[in-house]
Amino acid sequence: MRTSSSPAISLPSVVAVFLLLAAASYGALIWAPTENTMGMIQRIFYFHVSSAWSGFISFLMVFIGSVAYIRTRDLKWDWLSVASAEVGVAFFTVVLVTGPIWAKPVWGIWWTWDARLTSSFLLWVLFVSYLILRTLVDEPERRAMVSSVFGIFAALDIPLVYFSIWWFRTQHPQPVIGDGGALDPRMWRVLLLCWAATLGVMTLLIRIRYRLEAMRSEVDGFRMESLRNH
Amino acid sequence: MKNLNFLVSAYIAIWLIFCGYLFSVARRMASLQDEIRRLKQDGK
Amino acid sequence: MSGFTHATGVILAKELRAEFRSRELLTTTLVFVLIVIVLFSFTFNPTTSESRRFGPGLLWLAFLFAGSLMLQPSFLRERANDTLAALRLAPIDPFSILAGKMAANFLFLLLVEVILLPVFAVLYNIALFPILGPLLLVLVLGTLGIATTGTIFSAVSSQARLRELLLPLLLLPVLAPVLIASTEATVGLLRDPAELSLVWLTFLISFDVVFLTAAWLVGEYLLEE
Repeated sequence: MRTSSSPAISLPSVVAVFLLLAAASYGALIWAPTENTMGMIQRIFYFHVSSAWSGFISFLMVFIGSVAYIRTRDLKWDWLSVASAEVGVAFFTVVLVTGPIWAKPVWGIWWTWDARLTSSFLLWVLFVSYLILRTLVDEPERRAMVSSVFGIFAALDIPLVYFSIWWFRTQHPQPVIGDGGALDPRMWRVLLLCWAATLGVMTLLIRIRYRLEAMRSEVDGFRMESLRNH
Repeated sequence: MKNLNFLVSAYIAIWLIFCGYLFSVARRMASLQDEIRRLKQDGK
Repeated sequence: MSGFTHATGVILAKELRAEFRSRELLTTTLVFVLIVIVLFSFTFNPTTSESRRFGPGLLWLAFLFAGSLMLQPSFLRERANDTLAALRLAPIDPFSILAGKMAANFLFLLLVEVILLPVFAVLYNIALFPILGPLLLVLVLGTLGIATTGTIFSAVSSQARLRELLLPLLLLPVLAPVLIASTEATVGLLRDPAELSLVWLTFLISFDVVFLTAAWLVGEYLLEE
Protein backbone atom coordinates (compact mmCIF):
# COMPACT_ATOMS: atom_id res chain seq x y z
CA MET A 1 0.00 0.00 0.00
CA ARG A 2 1.79 3.08 -1.24
CA THR A 3 0.81 5.77 1.21
CA SER A 4 4.03 7.62 1.80
CA SER A 5 4.10 8.90 -1.76
CA SER A 6 0.61 10.38 -1.99
CA PRO A 7 0.28 13.87 -0.55
CA ALA A 8 -2.35 13.76 2.18
CA ILE A 9 -2.67 17.46 2.83
CA SER A 10 -3.32 19.66 -0.19
CA LEU A 11 -1.95 23.19 -0.08
CA PRO A 12 -5.30 24.82 -0.95
CA SER A 13 -6.98 23.21 2.06
CA VAL A 14 -4.23 24.39 4.42
CA VAL A 15 -4.49 27.90 3.00
CA ALA A 16 -8.27 27.81 3.33
CA VAL A 17 -8.10 26.81 6.98
CA PHE A 18 -5.50 29.49 7.69
CA LEU A 19 -7.68 32.15 6.09
CA LEU A 20 -10.67 30.94 8.08
CA LEU A 21 -8.62 31.02 11.25
CA ALA A 22 -7.39 34.52 10.49
CA ALA A 23 -10.92 35.76 9.83
CA ALA A 24 -12.20 34.11 12.99
CA SER A 25 -9.39 35.57 15.09
CA TYR A 26 -10.05 39.03 13.70
CA GLY A 27 -13.72 38.59 14.45
CA ALA A 28 -13.09 37.40 17.98
CA LEU A 29 -10.40 39.89 18.89
CA ILE A 30 -11.50 43.05 17.09
CA TRP A 31 -14.85 42.97 15.30
CA ALA A 32 -16.94 41.47 18.10
CA PRO A 33 -18.31 43.99 20.59
CA THR A 34 -16.62 44.11 23.96
CA GLU A 35 -18.69 42.60 26.71
CA ASN A 36 -19.68 45.02 29.46
CA THR A 37 -18.89 43.20 32.68
CA MET A 38 -15.98 40.94 31.83
CA GLY A 39 -13.95 43.12 29.54
CA MET A 40 -11.44 41.82 27.06
CA ILE A 41 -11.12 38.36 28.60
CA GLN A 42 -14.61 37.50 27.36
CA ARG A 43 -13.16 37.29 23.84
CA ILE A 44 -11.69 33.94 24.76
CA PHE A 45 -15.24 32.59 24.86
CA TYR A 46 -15.39 32.22 21.08
CA PHE A 47 -12.51 29.79 20.82
CA HIS A 48 -13.22 28.17 24.20
CA VAL A 49 -16.74 27.15 23.14
CA SER A 50 -15.92 26.28 19.52
CA SER A 51 -13.04 24.09 20.70
CA ALA A 52 -15.48 22.20 22.88
CA TRP A 53 -17.89 21.75 19.96
CA SER A 54 -15.12 20.55 17.66
CA GLY A 55 -13.89 18.27 20.42
CA PHE A 56 -17.34 16.70 20.54
CA ILE A 57 -17.32 16.16 16.80
CA SER A 58 -13.91 14.51 17.12
CA PHE A 59 -15.20 12.12 19.74
CA LEU A 60 -18.22 11.41 17.58
CA MET A 61 -15.75 10.37 14.88
CA VAL A 62 -14.15 8.00 17.37
CA PHE A 63 -17.58 6.42 17.81
CA ILE A 64 -18.15 6.21 14.06
CA GLY A 65 -14.70 4.77 13.44
CA SER A 66 -15.13 2.24 16.23
CA VAL A 67 -18.50 1.02 14.99
CA ALA A 68 -17.26 0.91 11.41
CA TYR A 69 -14.19 -1.09 12.37
CA ILE A 70 -16.25 -3.70 14.19
CA ARG A 71 -18.51 -4.06 11.18
CA THR A 72 -15.92 -4.03 8.41
CA ARG A 73 -12.67 -5.08 10.15
CA ASP A 74 -10.90 -2.61 7.90
CA LEU A 75 -8.03 -1.12 9.93
CA LYS A 76 -8.43 2.24 8.17
CA TRP A 77 -11.45 2.91 10.42
CA ASP A 78 -9.24 2.30 13.42
CA TRP A 79 -6.77 4.85 12.05
CA LEU A 80 -9.63 7.33 11.92
CA SER A 81 -10.57 6.50 15.52
CA VAL A 82 -7.11 7.08 16.98
CA ALA A 83 -6.59 10.25 14.92
CA SER A 84 -9.92 11.65 16.06
CA ALA A 85 -9.28 10.71 19.68
CA GLU A 86 -5.91 12.49 19.79
CA VAL A 87 -7.27 15.60 18.10
CA GLY A 88 -10.28 15.57 20.42
CA VAL A 89 -7.98 15.43 23.43
CA ALA A 90 -6.03 18.39 22.01
CA PHE A 91 -9.25 20.40 21.65
CA PHE A 92 -10.41 19.59 25.14
CA THR A 93 -6.97 20.51 26.48
CA VAL A 94 -7.65 23.93 24.98
CA VAL A 95 -11.04 24.00 26.72
CA LEU A 96 -9.52 23.01 30.07
CA VAL A 97 -6.71 25.57 29.82
CA THR A 98 -8.78 28.52 28.56
CA GLY A 99 -11.57 27.85 31.06
CA PRO A 100 -9.51 28.66 34.17
CA ILE A 101 -7.74 31.54 32.39
CA TRP A 102 -11.19 33.00 31.80
CA ALA A 103 -12.42 32.20 35.29
CA LYS A 104 -9.57 33.77 37.24
CA PRO A 105 -10.10 37.43 36.29
CA VAL A 106 -13.88 37.09 36.24
CA TRP A 107 -14.52 35.04 39.39
CA GLY A 108 -11.21 35.38 41.21
CA ILE A 109 -10.66 31.62 41.34
CA TRP A 110 -9.16 29.24 38.80
CA TRP A 111 -11.70 26.42 39.13
CA THR A 112 -15.24 26.09 40.49
CA TRP A 113 -16.29 22.56 39.47
CA ASP A 114 -18.71 24.24 37.13
CA ALA A 115 -20.85 21.70 35.24
CA ARG A 116 -19.48 22.19 31.76
CA LEU A 117 -15.84 22.40 32.77
CA THR A 118 -16.14 19.37 35.04
CA SER A 119 -17.76 17.38 32.25
CA SER A 120 -15.00 18.51 29.90
CA PHE A 121 -12.44 17.33 32.40
CA LEU A 122 -14.06 13.91 32.65
CA LEU A 123 -14.31 13.63 28.88
CA TRP A 124 -10.64 14.52 28.60
CA VAL A 125 -9.74 11.81 31.12
CA LEU A 126 -11.95 9.30 29.34
CA PHE A 127 -10.27 9.72 25.98
CA VAL A 128 -6.81 9.92 27.46
CA SER A 129 -7.62 6.48 28.92
CA TYR A 130 -8.61 5.40 25.41
CA LEU A 131 -5.21 6.50 24.13
CA ILE A 132 -3.40 4.78 27.01
CA LEU A 133 -5.30 1.56 26.31
CA ARG A 134 -4.02 1.69 22.75
CA THR A 135 -0.39 1.96 23.81
CA LEU A 136 -0.79 -1.17 25.91
CA VAL A 137 -1.88 -3.50 23.10
CA ASP A 138 0.72 -4.24 20.44
CA GLU A 139 -0.97 -6.35 17.82
CA PRO A 140 -2.87 -4.10 15.35
CA GLU A 141 -6.09 -6.10 14.93
CA ARG A 142 -6.43 -6.85 18.63
CA ARG A 143 -5.69 -3.23 19.47
CA ALA A 144 -8.27 -2.05 16.96
CA MET A 145 -10.92 -4.38 18.38
CA VAL A 146 -10.46 -3.56 22.05
CA SER A 147 -10.14 0.16 21.30
CA SER A 148 -13.31 0.05 19.25
CA VAL A 149 -15.27 -1.56 22.06
CA PHE A 150 -13.92 0.89 24.64
CA GLY A 151 -14.39 3.77 22.18
CA ILE A 152 -18.06 2.87 21.76
CA PHE A 153 -18.60 2.66 25.51
CA ALA A 154 -16.75 5.91 26.11
CA ALA A 155 -18.75 7.73 23.43
CA LEU A 156 -22.05 6.39 24.77
CA ASP A 157 -20.98 7.62 28.19
CA ILE A 158 -20.63 11.23 27.03
CA PRO A 159 -24.33 12.25 27.22
CA LEU A 160 -24.68 10.36 30.51
CA VAL A 161 -21.71 12.24 31.96
CA TYR A 162 -23.10 15.59 30.87
CA PHE A 163 -26.57 14.97 32.18
CA SER A 164 -25.50 13.58 35.54
CA ILE A 165 -23.07 16.43 36.21
CA TRP A 166 -25.58 19.03 34.99
CA TRP A 167 -28.40 17.65 37.15
CA PHE A 168 -26.04 17.38 40.12
CA ARG A 169 -25.10 21.05 39.64
CA THR A 170 -28.77 22.04 39.42
CA GLN A 171 -29.21 20.49 42.85
CA HIS A 172 -25.99 22.00 44.24
CA PRO A 173 -25.49 25.33 42.45
CA GLN A 174 -22.09 26.93 42.08
CA PRO A 175 -20.75 29.88 40.09
CA VAL A 176 -20.92 29.14 36.41
CA ILE A 177 -17.96 29.80 34.17
CA GLY A 178 -19.54 30.76 30.93
CA ASP A 179 -21.43 33.31 28.94
CA GLY A 180 -23.13 35.87 31.08
CA GLY A 181 -26.43 35.59 29.26
CA ALA A 182 -27.98 36.33 25.87
CA LEU A 183 -25.62 36.90 22.97
CA ASP A 184 -25.48 39.97 20.82
CA PRO A 185 -26.16 38.89 17.17
CA ARG A 186 -22.67 40.02 16.17
CA MET A 187 -21.27 37.71 18.85
CA TRP A 188 -23.29 34.82 17.40
CA ARG A 189 -21.80 35.43 13.97
CA VAL A 190 -18.28 35.46 15.35
CA LEU A 191 -19.01 32.29 17.34
CA LEU A 192 -20.19 30.46 14.22
CA LEU A 193 -17.18 31.70 12.30
CA CYS A 194 -14.88 30.45 15.05
CA TRP A 195 -16.63 27.12 15.02
CA ALA A 196 -16.10 26.84 11.28
CA ALA A 197 -12.44 27.68 11.79
CA THR A 198 -11.95 25.10 14.53
CA LEU A 199 -13.76 22.50 12.43
CA GLY A 200 -11.30 23.27 9.65
CA VAL A 201 -8.38 22.86 12.04
CA MET A 202 -9.92 19.63 13.33
CA THR A 203 -10.29 18.19 9.84
CA LEU A 204 -6.74 19.10 8.93
CA LEU A 205 -5.28 17.68 12.13
CA ILE A 206 -7.25 14.45 11.83
CA ARG A 207 -6.08 14.00 8.26
CA ILE A 208 -2.46 14.55 9.24
CA ARG A 209 -2.71 12.16 12.17
CA TYR A 210 -4.50 9.60 9.99
CA ARG A 211 -1.63 9.77 7.57
CA LEU A 212 0.79 9.14 10.44
CA GLU A 213 -1.17 6.04 11.40
CA ALA A 214 -1.22 4.79 7.80
CA MET A 215 2.55 5.27 7.69
CA ARG A 216 2.91 3.40 10.97
CA SER A 217 0.98 0.49 9.53
CA GLU A 218 3.23 0.53 6.47
CA VAL A 219 6.29 0.38 8.70
CA ASP A 220 4.81 -2.56 10.57
CA GLY A 221 4.36 -4.27 7.20
CA PHE A 222 7.98 -3.61 6.25
CA ARG A 223 9.16 -4.83 9.62
CA MET A 224 7.26 -8.10 9.17
CA GLU A 225 8.78 -8.51 5.71
CA SER A 226 12.34 -7.88 6.84
CA LEU A 227 11.87 -10.36 9.68
CA ARG A 228 10.70 -12.94 7.19
CA ASN A 229 13.63 -12.30 4.86
CA HIS A 230 16.22 -12.85 7.55
CA MET B 1 -8.50 47.32 28.37
CA LYS B 2 -9.60 45.20 31.28
CA ASN B 3 -7.96 41.80 31.66
CA LEU B 4 -5.94 42.09 28.49
CA ASN B 5 -2.99 40.07 29.79
CA PHE B 6 -5.28 37.13 30.59
CA LEU B 7 -6.68 37.28 27.07
CA VAL B 8 -3.22 37.28 25.56
CA SER B 9 -2.13 34.33 27.74
CA ALA B 10 -5.22 32.40 26.68
CA TYR B 11 -4.57 32.89 22.99
CA ILE B 12 -0.89 32.05 23.41
CA ALA B 13 -1.93 28.89 25.27
CA ILE B 14 -4.20 27.85 22.38
CA TRP B 15 -1.41 28.34 19.89
CA LEU B 16 1.07 26.44 22.06
CA ILE B 17 -1.30 23.50 22.44
CA PHE B 18 -1.99 23.12 18.73
CA CYS B 19 1.57 23.78 17.64
CA GLY B 20 2.74 21.36 20.31
CA TYR B 21 0.42 18.69 18.96
CA LEU B 22 1.48 19.31 15.36
CA PHE B 23 5.10 19.15 16.43
CA SER B 24 4.53 15.82 18.17
CA VAL B 25 2.87 14.38 15.04
CA ALA B 26 5.67 15.74 12.83
CA ARG B 27 8.32 14.24 15.09
CA ARG B 28 6.66 10.83 15.02
CA MET B 29 6.31 11.05 11.26
CA ALA B 30 10.00 11.89 10.86
CA SER B 31 11.10 8.95 12.98
CA LEU B 32 8.81 6.65 10.99
CA GLN B 33 10.23 7.94 7.72
CA ASP B 34 13.72 7.25 9.03
CA GLU B 35 12.70 3.72 9.88
CA ILE B 36 11.13 3.17 6.45
CA ARG B 37 14.37 4.28 4.85
CA ARG B 38 16.37 1.99 7.10
CA LEU B 39 14.12 -1.01 6.49
CA LYS B 40 14.19 -0.48 2.74
CA GLN B 41 18.00 -0.39 2.90
CA ASP B 42 18.14 -3.62 4.91
CA GLY B 43 15.76 -5.28 2.50
CA LYS B 44 17.96 -4.60 -0.51
CA MET C 1 -34.27 -17.60 24.14
CA SER C 2 -34.42 -20.52 26.54
CA GLY C 3 -31.12 -21.76 25.12
CA PHE C 4 -29.55 -18.43 25.96
CA THR C 5 -30.92 -18.38 29.49
CA HIS C 6 -29.82 -21.95 30.04
CA ALA C 7 -26.29 -21.30 28.79
CA THR C 8 -26.04 -18.13 30.86
CA GLY C 9 -27.26 -20.03 33.88
CA VAL C 10 -24.64 -22.72 33.37
CA ILE C 11 -21.85 -20.16 33.05
CA LEU C 12 -23.16 -18.30 36.09
CA ALA C 13 -23.15 -21.52 38.10
CA LYS C 14 -19.63 -22.29 36.95
CA GLU C 15 -18.40 -18.85 37.98
CA LEU C 16 -20.06 -19.06 41.38
CA ARG C 17 -18.70 -22.54 41.99
CA ALA C 18 -15.17 -21.47 41.02
CA GLU C 19 -15.34 -18.58 43.41
CA PHE C 20 -16.83 -20.37 46.38
CA ARG C 21 -14.36 -23.19 46.16
CA SER C 22 -11.69 -20.73 47.30
CA ARG C 23 -13.68 -17.75 48.56
CA GLU C 24 -10.47 -15.76 48.59
CA LEU C 25 -11.76 -13.10 46.22
CA LEU C 26 -14.83 -12.43 48.33
CA THR C 27 -13.00 -12.13 51.62
CA THR C 28 -10.18 -10.05 50.15
CA THR C 29 -12.65 -7.62 48.61
CA LEU C 30 -14.60 -7.33 51.86
CA VAL C 31 -11.47 -6.50 53.82
CA PHE C 32 -10.37 -4.03 51.16
CA VAL C 33 -13.63 -2.09 51.30
CA LEU C 34 -13.43 -2.09 55.11
CA ILE C 35 -9.95 -0.60 54.91
CA VAL C 36 -11.19 2.08 52.53
CA ILE C 37 -14.10 2.94 54.84
CA VAL C 38 -11.76 3.24 57.83
CA LEU C 39 -9.27 5.37 55.90
CA PHE C 40 -12.03 7.64 54.69
CA SER C 41 -13.02 8.28 58.30
CA PHE C 42 -9.66 9.97 58.79
CA THR C 43 -10.33 12.47 56.05
CA PHE C 44 -13.21 14.26 57.71
CA ASN C 45 -14.76 14.67 61.10
CA PRO C 46 -17.29 11.81 61.29
CA THR C 47 -20.01 13.58 63.24
CA THR C 48 -23.54 12.57 62.36
CA SER C 49 -24.24 15.54 60.10
CA GLU C 50 -20.94 15.24 58.28
CA SER C 51 -21.50 11.51 57.91
CA ARG C 52 -24.80 12.07 56.23
CA ARG C 53 -23.15 14.46 53.79
CA PHE C 54 -20.01 12.53 52.98
CA GLY C 55 -20.94 9.00 53.92
CA PRO C 56 -22.91 7.91 50.84
CA GLY C 57 -20.31 9.28 48.45
CA LEU C 58 -17.51 7.50 50.27
CA LEU C 59 -19.49 4.29 50.39
CA TRP C 60 -20.11 4.31 46.65
CA LEU C 61 -16.54 5.30 45.96
CA ALA C 62 -15.44 2.32 48.04
CA PHE C 63 -17.80 0.08 46.01
CA LEU C 64 -16.38 1.45 42.76
CA PHE C 65 -12.82 0.77 43.87
CA ALA C 66 -13.80 -2.71 44.99
CA GLY C 67 -15.49 -3.36 41.67
CA SER C 68 -12.54 -2.20 39.63
CA LEU C 69 -10.27 -4.52 41.57
CA MET C 70 -12.34 -7.64 42.03
CA LEU C 71 -13.60 -7.83 38.46
CA GLN C 72 -10.19 -8.61 37.06
CA PRO C 73 -9.78 -12.29 37.97
CA SER C 74 -12.79 -13.53 36.02
CA PHE C 75 -11.07 -13.28 32.65
CA LEU C 76 -7.57 -13.87 33.93
CA ARG C 77 -8.58 -17.28 35.20
CA GLU C 78 -9.88 -18.13 31.75
CA ARG C 79 -6.70 -17.02 30.06
CA ALA C 80 -4.53 -18.95 32.49
CA ASN C 81 -6.37 -22.18 31.76
CA ASP C 82 -7.22 -21.35 28.15
CA THR C 83 -10.83 -22.30 28.82
CA LEU C 84 -12.20 -19.43 26.77
CA ALA C 85 -11.48 -21.23 23.50
CA ALA C 86 -13.36 -24.27 24.72
CA LEU C 87 -16.30 -22.13 25.79
CA ARG C 88 -16.46 -20.45 22.43
CA LEU C 89 -16.57 -23.76 20.62
CA ALA C 90 -19.72 -24.70 22.46
CA PRO C 91 -22.93 -24.23 20.43
CA ILE C 92 -24.10 -21.29 22.51
CA ASP C 93 -24.65 -17.61 21.88
CA PRO C 94 -21.23 -16.10 22.71
CA PHE C 95 -22.94 -13.32 24.61
CA SER C 96 -24.16 -15.86 27.13
CA ILE C 97 -20.53 -16.31 28.24
CA LEU C 98 -20.40 -12.60 28.99
CA ALA C 99 -23.89 -12.57 30.48
CA GLY C 100 -23.00 -15.39 32.83
CA LYS C 101 -19.90 -13.53 33.98
CA MET C 102 -21.82 -10.28 34.35
CA ALA C 103 -24.42 -12.01 36.46
CA ALA C 104 -21.75 -13.61 38.63
CA ASN C 105 -19.88 -10.32 39.07
CA PHE C 106 -23.16 -8.56 39.85
CA LEU C 107 -24.03 -11.08 42.54
CA PHE C 108 -20.52 -10.95 44.05
CA LEU C 109 -20.51 -7.18 44.25
CA LEU C 110 -24.03 -7.06 45.63
CA LEU C 111 -23.08 -9.59 48.28
CA VAL C 112 -20.06 -7.51 49.31
CA GLU C 113 -22.20 -4.38 49.50
CA VAL C 114 -24.97 -6.01 51.50
CA ILE C 115 -22.50 -7.46 53.99
CA LEU C 116 -20.84 -4.07 54.40
CA LEU C 117 -24.02 -2.02 54.79
CA PRO C 118 -24.57 -2.76 58.50
CA VAL C 119 -20.86 -2.16 59.18
CA PHE C 120 -21.08 1.19 57.46
CA ALA C 121 -24.26 2.06 59.33
CA VAL C 122 -22.65 1.32 62.68
CA LEU C 123 -19.36 3.10 61.96
CA TYR C 124 -21.01 6.27 60.72
CA ASN C 125 -24.10 6.20 62.95
CA ILE C 126 -26.53 6.12 60.09
CA ALA C 127 -29.87 4.39 60.54
CA LEU C 128 -30.34 2.25 57.44
CA PHE C 129 -33.20 0.01 58.51
CA PRO C 130 -36.13 2.36 57.76
CA ILE C 131 -34.87 2.98 54.22
CA LEU C 132 -33.65 -0.53 53.49
CA GLY C 133 -36.01 -1.28 50.61
CA PRO C 134 -35.30 1.78 48.48
CA LEU C 135 -31.63 1.59 49.43
CA LEU C 136 -31.41 -1.97 48.10
CA LEU C 137 -33.04 -0.76 44.89
CA VAL C 138 -30.33 1.88 44.46
CA LEU C 139 -27.68 -0.71 45.27
CA VAL C 140 -29.03 -3.12 42.68
CA LEU C 141 -29.27 -0.52 39.92
CA GLY C 142 -25.86 0.97 40.62
CA THR C 143 -24.18 -2.41 40.97
CA LEU C 144 -25.71 -3.56 37.71
CA GLY C 145 -23.97 -0.68 35.96
CA ILE C 146 -20.67 -1.47 37.66
CA ALA C 147 -20.89 -5.18 36.86
CA THR C 148 -21.89 -4.71 33.22
CA THR C 149 -19.20 -2.22 32.29
CA GLY C 150 -16.70 -3.86 34.60
CA THR C 151 -17.05 -7.27 32.97
CA ILE C 152 -16.67 -5.79 29.48
CA PHE C 153 -13.64 -3.73 30.47
CA SER C 154 -12.13 -6.70 32.26
CA ALA C 155 -12.34 -8.57 28.94
CA VAL C 156 -10.76 -5.53 27.26
CA SER C 157 -7.92 -5.13 29.74
CA SER C 158 -7.16 -8.84 29.86
CA GLN C 159 -5.85 -8.44 26.31
CA ALA C 160 -3.49 -5.61 27.21
CA ARG C 161 -0.37 -5.08 29.27
CA LEU C 162 -0.58 -3.57 32.77
CA ARG C 163 -4.05 -5.05 33.05
CA GLU C 164 -4.37 -4.62 36.83
CA LEU C 165 -3.80 -0.90 36.45
CA LEU C 166 -5.70 -0.61 33.20
CA LEU C 167 -9.04 -1.86 34.47
CA PRO C 168 -9.53 0.92 37.07
CA LEU C 169 -8.18 3.43 34.54
CA LEU C 170 -10.86 2.46 32.04
CA LEU C 171 -13.68 1.73 34.43
CA LEU C 172 -13.67 4.62 36.87
CA PRO C 173 -14.16 7.49 34.41
CA VAL C 174 -16.94 5.65 32.60
CA LEU C 175 -18.67 4.95 35.92
CA ALA C 176 -18.57 8.57 37.09
CA PRO C 177 -22.27 9.04 36.21
CA VAL C 178 -23.14 5.95 38.29
CA LEU C 179 -21.17 7.37 41.20
CA ILE C 180 -23.03 10.68 40.97
CA ALA C 181 -26.47 9.13 40.55
CA SER C 182 -26.10 6.43 43.22
CA THR C 183 -24.58 8.84 45.72
CA GLU C 184 -27.27 11.45 45.19
CA ALA C 185 -30.02 8.85 45.39
CA THR C 186 -28.54 7.53 48.65
CA VAL C 187 -28.14 11.04 50.07
CA GLY C 188 -31.79 11.66 49.29
CA LEU C 189 -32.75 8.54 51.20
CA LEU C 190 -30.76 9.65 54.24
CA ARG C 191 -32.57 12.96 54.43
CA ASP C 192 -35.33 13.56 56.91
CA PRO C 193 -37.91 12.70 55.57
CA ALA C 194 -36.35 10.18 53.22
CA GLU C 195 -36.94 10.93 49.57
CA LEU C 196 -36.39 8.58 46.66
CA SER C 197 -35.22 10.61 43.70
CA LEU C 198 -37.07 9.50 40.58
CA VAL C 199 -34.66 11.43 38.37
CA TRP C 200 -31.61 9.58 39.61
CA LEU C 201 -33.38 6.22 39.60
CA THR C 202 -34.47 6.70 36.00
CA PHE C 203 -30.96 7.80 35.16
CA LEU C 204 -29.46 4.64 36.67
CA ILE C 205 -31.94 2.51 34.77
CA SER C 206 -31.03 4.34 31.54
CA PHE C 207 -27.33 3.83 32.22
CA ASP C 208 -27.89 0.12 32.76
CA VAL C 209 -30.04 -0.24 29.64
CA VAL C 210 -27.58 1.65 27.43
CA PHE C 211 -24.56 -0.34 28.50
CA LEU C 212 -26.26 -3.71 28.66
CA THR C 213 -27.40 -3.15 25.09
CA ALA C 214 -23.93 -2.03 24.04
CA ALA C 215 -22.42 -5.06 25.74
CA TRP C 216 -24.90 -7.32 23.97
CA LEU C 217 -24.11 -5.75 20.60
CA VAL C 218 -20.32 -5.67 20.69
CA GLY C 219 -19.23 -7.74 23.69
CA GLU C 220 -18.86 -10.99 21.84
CA TYR C 221 -16.08 -9.58 19.65
CA LEU C 222 -13.92 -9.33 22.73
CA LEU C 223 -14.00 -13.10 23.06
CA GLU C 224 -12.39 -13.68 19.69
CA GLU C 225 -8.85 -14.80 19.63
